[in-house]
Amino acid sequence: MNKIFLRILSIFWFWILIWALPTHPITATAAEKPFIFGLLLVGPYNDHGYSQAHYEGGQYVERKIAGAKMIYIDKVNPADRPGITIPQLVDDLMEKGARLVIANSDDMKDGIREAASMHPKIYFVHVSGDDVLTGKAPQNLMNLFGRMEYGKMMAGFVAALTTKTGKIGYLGPLINEETRRLASSAYLGARHAWENVLHKDPADLKFQVTWIGFWFNIPGVTTDPTQVAHNFYNNGYDVVISGIDTTEAIGVAQQKRLEGKDAWVVPYDYIGACEGASEVCLGVPYFNWGPGYVDCIQAVISGDWKSEWVWRGPDWQDINRPDTSTIGFVTGAALPASAKQSLNAFIKELGAGKTNLLKGPLFYQDGSIFLKDGEIASDQQIWYMRQLLEGMQGASSAK
Amino acid sequence: MKPKLLLRYSKELILTLAVVFLFTTIILLVTGAPVLAVYYHIFKGSLGSWAKFGHVIKTWIPLTLCACGLLYTFRIGLWNIGVEGQVMMGAIFATAVLRFGVESHFSELYLFLSILAGIAGGAIWALIAGYLKTAGGVNEIFAGLGLNFVAQAIILWLIFGPWKRPGIASMSGTELFPKALWLPSTFLLRISPIGIFSAFAAIILTALMLRYTRIGLCLKAVGNNPKAAYLFGVKPQPYMLLAMIFAGGFSGVAGCLQVTDVYHRLLPAISSNYGYLALLVVMLGNFNVWISPAVAFFFACLNIGSVQLPMMLQLDSSLSGVIQGASVLAALGMQAWRMRIRSNEVGAFYE
Amino acid sequence: MRVEVHDIHKHYGPVRANDGITLTIEPGRIHGILGENGAGKTTLMKILAGYTRKTSGYLCMDQVPVDYRTPTEASQLGIGMLYQDPLDFPFLSVLENFMIGQAVGLANQKKYYRKKFDSLAADFDFALRPNVQVNRLTIGERQQLEILRLLSLGIQVLILDEPTTGITNVQKDYLFSALKKMTSEGKSIILVSHKLKDVEAVCNQLTVLRRGKVTGEMKAPFDTDILLEMMFGQTPIPFNRCLQESGRTILELDNVSAPGGRSGLSDCNIRIRQGEVVGLAGLEGSGQDVFLRIAAGLLRPAGGSVMLKDKRMNAKDYHCFKHSGVFFQPSSRLEEGLISGCSVTEHFALQSDHKKFVTKWSDATSDAKKKMTEFRIIGRPDSLAESLSGGNQQRLLLSFLPRNPLLLLLENPTRGLDMESSSWVWQHLHKYCSDNTTIVFSSSDLDEIIMAADRVLVFFNGKMIKDTRTCETSSYELGLAIAGKR
Ligand SMILES: Nc1ncnc2c1ncn2[C@@H]1O[C@H](COP(=O)(O)OP(=O)(O)OP(=O)(O)O)[C@@H](O)[C@H]1O
Ligand SMILES: [Mg+2]
Repeated sequence: MNKIFLRILSIFWFWILIWALPTHPITATAAEKPFIFGLLLVGPYNDHGYSQAHYEGGQYVERKIAGAKMIYIDKVNPADRPGITIPQLVDDLMEKGARLVIANSDDMKDGIREAASMHPKIYFVHVSGDDVLTGKAPQNLMNLFGRMEYGKMMAGFVAALTTKTGKIGYLGPLINEETRRLASSAYLGARHAWENVLHKDPADLKFQVTWIGFWFNIPGVTTDPTQVAHNFYNNGYDVVISGIDTTEAIGVAQQKRLEGKDAWVVPYDYIGACEGASEVCLGVPYFNWGPGYVDCIQAVISGDWKSEWVWRGPDWQDINRPDTSTIGFVTGAALPASAKQSLNAFIKELGAGKTNLLKGPLFYQDGSIFLKDGEIASDQQIWYMRQLLEGMQGASSAK
Repeated sequence: MKPKLLLRYSKELILTLAVVFLFTTIILLVTGAPVLAVYYHIFKGSLGSWAKFGHVIKTWIPLTLCACGLLYTFRIGLWNIGVEGQVMMGAIFATAVLRFGVESHFSELYLFLSILAGIAGGAIWALIAGYLKTAGGVNEIFAGLGLNFVAQAIILWLIFGPWKRPGIASMSGTELFPKALWLPSTFLLRISPIGIFSAFAAIILTALMLRYTRIGLCLKAVGNNPKAAYLFGVKPQPYMLLAMIFAGGFSGVAGCLQVTDVYHRLLPAISSNYGYLALLVVMLGNFNVWISPAVAFFFACLNIGSVQLPMMLQLDSSLSGVIQGASVLAALGMQAWRMRIRSNEVGAFYE
Repeated sequence: MRVEVHDIHKHYGPVRANDGITLTIEPGRIHGILGENGAGKTTLMKILAGYTRKTSGYLCMDQVPVDYRTPTEASQLGIGMLYQDPLDFPFLSVLENFMIGQAVGLANQKKYYRKKFDSLAADFDFALRPNVQVNRLTIGERQQLEILRLLSLGIQVLILDEPTTGITNVQKDYLFSALKKMTSEGKSIILVSHKLKDVEAVCNQLTVLRRGKVTGEMKAPFDTDILLEMMFGQTPIPFNRCLQESGRTILELDNVSAPGGRSGLSDCNIRIRQGEVVGLAGLEGSGQDVFLRIAAGLLRPAGGSVMLKDKRMNAKDYHCFKHSGVFFQPSSRLEEGLISGCSVTEHFALQSDHKKFVTKWSDATSDAKKKMTEFRIIGRPDSLAESLSGGNQQRLLLSFLPRNPLLLLLENPTRGLDMESSSWVWQHLHKYCSDNTTIVFSSSDLDEIIMAADRVLVFFNGKMIKDTRTCETSSYELGLAIAGKR
């Protein structure tokens, strides 16, 4: 009897203790002065890739908007943060006073939508999503993305000018509309250079896409990107275009160079990706999130917020202008001067609309029509690319 | 439990925690992190508000379920490392059932079935390890580790293959289930009452089973001396299988809750390492039903609270991994110390 | 080295295992410690060996007060102990066990230790093969191994806790001559035993303990009656038995052979009749252990047939035998018989109705209490099995015997029991026989067999070589048979 009593007593105290500890329930922190915004990064904030580009975009906002303050959480993915969900993190950011939350990954789509519908007073920007287009988005959620097709076209362009074997490898992340779009754009850029600058037969251009399964390497879960890059170089693909968030391909290219092989690489996402890899880096198409972020936040502050789908492109006056251009391309030291000239010309043509690579006739991998002869692709057609294009190798969707 | 024992347990627990803090502090000092601020933020980040407390409970539930399951296997002397895979299998089975429920109007029915399926999935996976042990003499640790890998591989295959989102091949998980197939949760704290209920039910059931039933007694007998237990008319093998079923069943529920209550889909990291963590929890909890949930709570706090480190202090949140590591060391140290005392005076260390 | 023990107390909760013990052990002597079960002998020895910490009191070695906490520290001071149940590593070889605790560093010093081992073993005439796995040794051989190991650690005081239970007379002779040799080198020996004969044979001095206190001391030569008086407060009554006629055959082994144990069992033809008490004699591991286990269904015979009451039982397991009324009890108490970590009550709960889902703790506790008084087990119902004294563990085992068994198979049933207890146990067991129960037991004590059994079977090297009534033989004759000289 005594024992049971003691047991009950101890449990009782244990739970009393637990319930008593959190003393203050959620109180609306009405800090009016600084505008705090939260940033959820899928990878490490210093990954020299996708997440770092976002992180620096946030810093840009802090510089540009007086009183803006960023709080960020990086490595927001179930492998790095087991048991933690997006709504939980949003709660946390809110408690710290965030009035707008930016989620940077396609992977956070469901979570951010859930959080948005739970907190109608807070604004949400989902980068790379399409909830507004599909009509699933609540009023306080908008989508933002950059027209990276152009960046990828430039990437493909320099790759085709550089390759000696005529074989280009594309290190793909997972397969979805976005990644198909980007891989296809890179192919279109490459084919354009191959055909119109080098005047070679497009049939001689090999463009292989290999997917690893996620935006970055998760050991044991995805295919190892380092391994994939190695395979590319070992099999005669002398230029690798990276489509993943992290920079493994650069390291592999450098290693191959040391072994005396021809190896070039076009990384992705982050303006500084080529740093320290001048011997192999042909250039990098990158995101400049700062201006887009500034617009979103200014809209909240001024009360002009709209739940819209925003797809921002390069500033064709100068695609590398930090205050206006969302998409840019910086050339790397490994790119020869002649190629650079062709690239500049190509960019001019794109900007002037003289060249439009997304113009029919274009076919999907299985031969079905993507764009009819002379048809110019609409935003929607580009966004929802259903397959890779004819002429590319690699899976269009899961096996 | 005798008051003296309780005192001793608490003493041990406090000592362990002290060692954990000592280790962590040293590591923090070495890395140059602000020690007090780290503790403060972990504490505030886990128990600083009701919302956070709710998150902690969400982590606590599966952890406790796994820990309860492990108590059975530890009782009979089995190292059920396979608990991780059992969580995954529970999640897989639950997902399989829920997929049928996507279009259905009877979502409650499917939710209920998913729990049963979770139990079945975990139990089957555990039984395989148990069978390999009893019939093939394969050490349960190796069998369990192997099965963990297989379970992970099955999840990856499902996500990338048969259960992929239409048109998409991504390791990020299957299509989100419709809201109707989410476990209902209370508005306050956003905790699912069913989750809470199953955790408490697991604790109480385990306590009763181990203390007051013949099964509990036999598990203990076999665990302490299988040969003698046999002479007492207790066949070790069936009880080993039974213990595995319990462990697998509870972990399967944890896996099911991970799907229905936390992520609402299947993803590669669905188990959130709770299985491995639960092993640690039970060891730190001195294999005791009443202490383990408290330890699980501590780890849940650590897990949730450490998110603050990158946010507030720009520290890598893998520091929480360091704290967990320190806990392992402290637990092992504690174990060694216990053994020493035990060899000194063979006292009442068990209930 | 002179060891002085001053006013040692050791309390386990309310139990006063040692309650103010003072004694002196002279160098170059064999000092005997006697006492009934639970008197506190093992506890005192464990304190001396650093295995248990005392509650109060102090120790002096050569007039210097010493304090140590672990067996390692004790052995550094020169005290080593041979435990009642050997504490070696069964899956390592003899040599590896020998090296444990002395070989340090990474270098492979096997050769060096091999030499050391061989010379020590030769000194004491111990025939131990260094490469055999320890679990293949007899208890006696394991003892010899442990003694050699302790000696090579350089110990000056050797404690032996009931070294003569479970070993044969031959091994005992080796042991005693080894002990004498050691005292002649100036070492002191402390010998704990229940066997008055042994103690009288080798000890120079005796201390008797009772309920944690010293109740008497004596120097050789000893007066047995006074000793018994000191130990028990009275002289136990001797018992004897030799049944002439016996009932029908209940257990029949025909041409049974089986592997297992040290020598296996070959071509065994044995009939056991109802109501008789059969003693099994032989060197440890000569086949009697295998026989008992076959008769219990714990081992499967490789050939031949096992009939229990006209039923062929060859492929049946122990639980099946148990259903037919066969009950087996092993000699290694803590390894096979009892469940360490479980309390006395739990042991009884385990045997209660198998079909009940819920354990009735109150019933089990009252069961435990009843049996503990009946079998005079010192302890509480919630005492863990391993916390009972050796003799009390044995009593606990015996208290598990069912009410109306057909056949009891007992391995060393009085191992570790003091004289009074063993005579009490036999009275108790003989009562079973008058209810037509058959008892087959093995024992290393030939006198016990002659006193308690009607018939004796002698095993040698896996064969049953002698089958005779106890009233028609003598321990001398049996001793010869055990050694294989028929
Ligand atoms: N760890 C323990 N916890 C509680 N009681 C103990 C413990 N160890 C021994 N005792 C008790 O102390 C008393 C003395 O035990 P001890 O083992 O010294 O007896 P002993 O003289 O060696 O008896 P035996 O001849 O039966 O071996 C016994 O009553 C025993 O139950
Ligand atoms: Mg003893």
